[in-house]
Amino acid sequence: MKILVIEDEKMLCETIVSYLEGEGYVCEHAGTVEMGTEKVNLYEYDCMLVDIGLPDGNGLTLVRELKQCHPETGIIIISAKNSLDDKVMGLDLGADDYLTKPFHLSELNSRIKSLLRRRKFDGQKELIVDKIRILPENRQVYISGELLSITKSEFDLLLFFISNPGRVLTKESIAEHLWGDFADSSDSFDFVYSHIKNLRRKLFEKSGTDYFRNVYATGYIFES
Amino acid sequence: MKLQNKINIRFLLVTFLVFAVAGVVFYFALGRVVDQNIREMLSSRKANIILYLQHAEADSIIHVSPDHTIFIRQIAKTANRRTISDTLAYDLDEKQLIPFRKMVFTTSVNDNYFEVTILQSLLESEDLQGIIFFFMAILFVLLLLTLFFVNRWLSEKAWKPFFRSLSLLKSAKISEKHQISFDQTGISEFDQLNRTLEEMIQKMQADFINLKEFTENASHEIQTPLAIIKSKLELILNDHELSGSQHKRLHDAFETVNRLSKLNDALLLLSKIENQQFVEKSDVDLSKLIQSRLEYLEELFALKHIELSVQLDIPVTISINPMLADILINNLLGNALKHNFNQGKIFISSGINEIIFSNTGKPMTIDATKLFKRFVKYSASEESTGLGLAIADEICRSGHLRLNYTYLNDLHSFTLSKVVE
Repeated sequence: MKILVIEDEKMLCETIVSYLEGEGYVCEHAGTVEMGTEKVNLYEYDCMLVDIGLPDGNGLTLVRELKQCHPETGIIIISAKNSLDDKVMGLDLGADDYLTKPFHLSELNSRIKSLLRRRKFDGQKELIVDKIRILPENRQVYISGELLSITKSEFDLLLFFISNPGRVLTKESIAEHLWGDFADSSDSFDFVYSHIKNLRRKLFEKSGTDYFRNVYATGYIFES
Repeated sequence: MKLQNKINIRFLLVTFLVFAVAGVVFYFALGRVVDQNIREMLSSRKANIILYLQHAEADSIIHVSPDHTIFIRQIAKTANRRTISDTLAYDLDEKQLIPFRKMVFTTSVNDNYFEVTILQSLLESEDLQGIIFFFMAILFVLLLLTLFFVNRWLSEKAWKPFFRSLSLLKSAKISEKHQISFDQTGISEFDQLNRTLEEMIQKMQADFINLKEFTENASHEIQTPLAIIKSKLELILNDHELSGSQHKRLHDAFETVNRLSKLNDALLLLSKIENQQFVEKSDVDLSKLIQSRLEYLEELFALKHIELSVQLDIPVTISINPMLADILINNLLGNALKHNFNQGKIFISSGINEIIFSNTGKPMTIDATKLFKRFVKYSASEESTGLGLAIADEICRSGHLRLNYTYLNDLHSFTLSKVVE
């Protein structure tokens, strides 16, 4: 899978590329609209991450460009401007998702995976991790062929973990993934804890394997 | 009071005062002139009578004039004297007592002494005085009325460009980009005023745009470094060689950066609301919006074992920016959740033009009037920015809504009501 990252902030770009390369993607990056246009026209990518505020113009022009030459490429806009106008305009132009800086890398990763799933396999792809089989479109989880009764949040949580296997997912990123703006509630970490406890128990009862590992004071890792 | 009326009333008052003083002065001056006139007439008649007495034979002197205005009487030797006085006498023509001026004087002709009394009617002169004064009064009233209407017409005409500018100013919006231009009035003061206004509005519009750009740029400039710190920390946290205590320290830093970025977000949001950058509005039914938010948050309430009782049958539709409506409802619901007990209660009900959020919770330790101020935290919840209610309040202020807090029967209640104009 090839991903094009267009971000003018060098350090942020490096971090994103390094995280995504760790996930097994092939990454290329560009810092300007000009360079971005060149790459978009020359090569084919599975997904493009594009910052709106670029030194030589607006990232939305790249979205327009890409939609014309490679309409099948997935597009995620990353922007520091939490402005509804930009978001609406970006999505109207054909972008698939919109992330506001600063975001969690795990969140970005999970969005990219979900996007690629939808784009590449028309949503019919099933995810199989060890004994767990997930049908993302139907929001169903099977363990050893048996349907698991699972709540909406627990499903989102499982998908989030499976998108980021072997990674430390912080309590903050989990809370924000599940509840967005409500994540700043002081109880949200307790909520994360009890959700994970439930999910862990359900998975363990059916599969006999404990997939989760606590990371001291930080968060959790999903391991298969 | 309108400027025109104020000027007119003052003008009329001053005119009236001047006319009143002038009238009084005129009246007395007229009296004096008439008086002078009568004195002169009496003096000339006196001279005629003396001449007559000097030339007439002593026996043939007529003692009473036919019109009963001159009486001559021979008297014993006396010194010359002369007195003038006012008196009333019966007039045969008018058939009533009328005022006369009486002059009595003595004179001697060839050792004969006479006392002469001359009566001069004051009726005509008083009539004259009255008529003159009457006409003057009519003239005065007419003049006053004319001045009033002319003045009103003139000032209306003169102030017209001013009122046109005023109505243009009223309809002007700083947040709109299109320029406001005033007509040429041909009156230099108004043209000056309009030019100044035009310059000021242009400056304000430019400042507004600058400010808007600044807030957005500030957001970009601060969020990007924060994003870098955050993502770097996240990368390091994934390093499997870290010890537990290193994990803990890194996570503390990560958590703090997270809070900082939320704080920055909230402050930017506040300034954006204050700068009225959320211009687009649409009709939003808050009851419906709360319902949909509650469905989304159901499990958060369930996890805290909070009993939720909701009565949102009455729609409360307001004209508001949809994003702000979302934030407002999120903040109020979040507040009710955050500052609640485990196994607490939340009541949400809608009425006509109002929605009440009530929740159980610890009594507040801070002054209720400071509740909507920034950075006021009424519990030691560390994750809270202390800006949630300040943002909710600011959204209400910007959108014809009012947010009130009451604490009654161990319930914290926030009432969101529509300001009816």
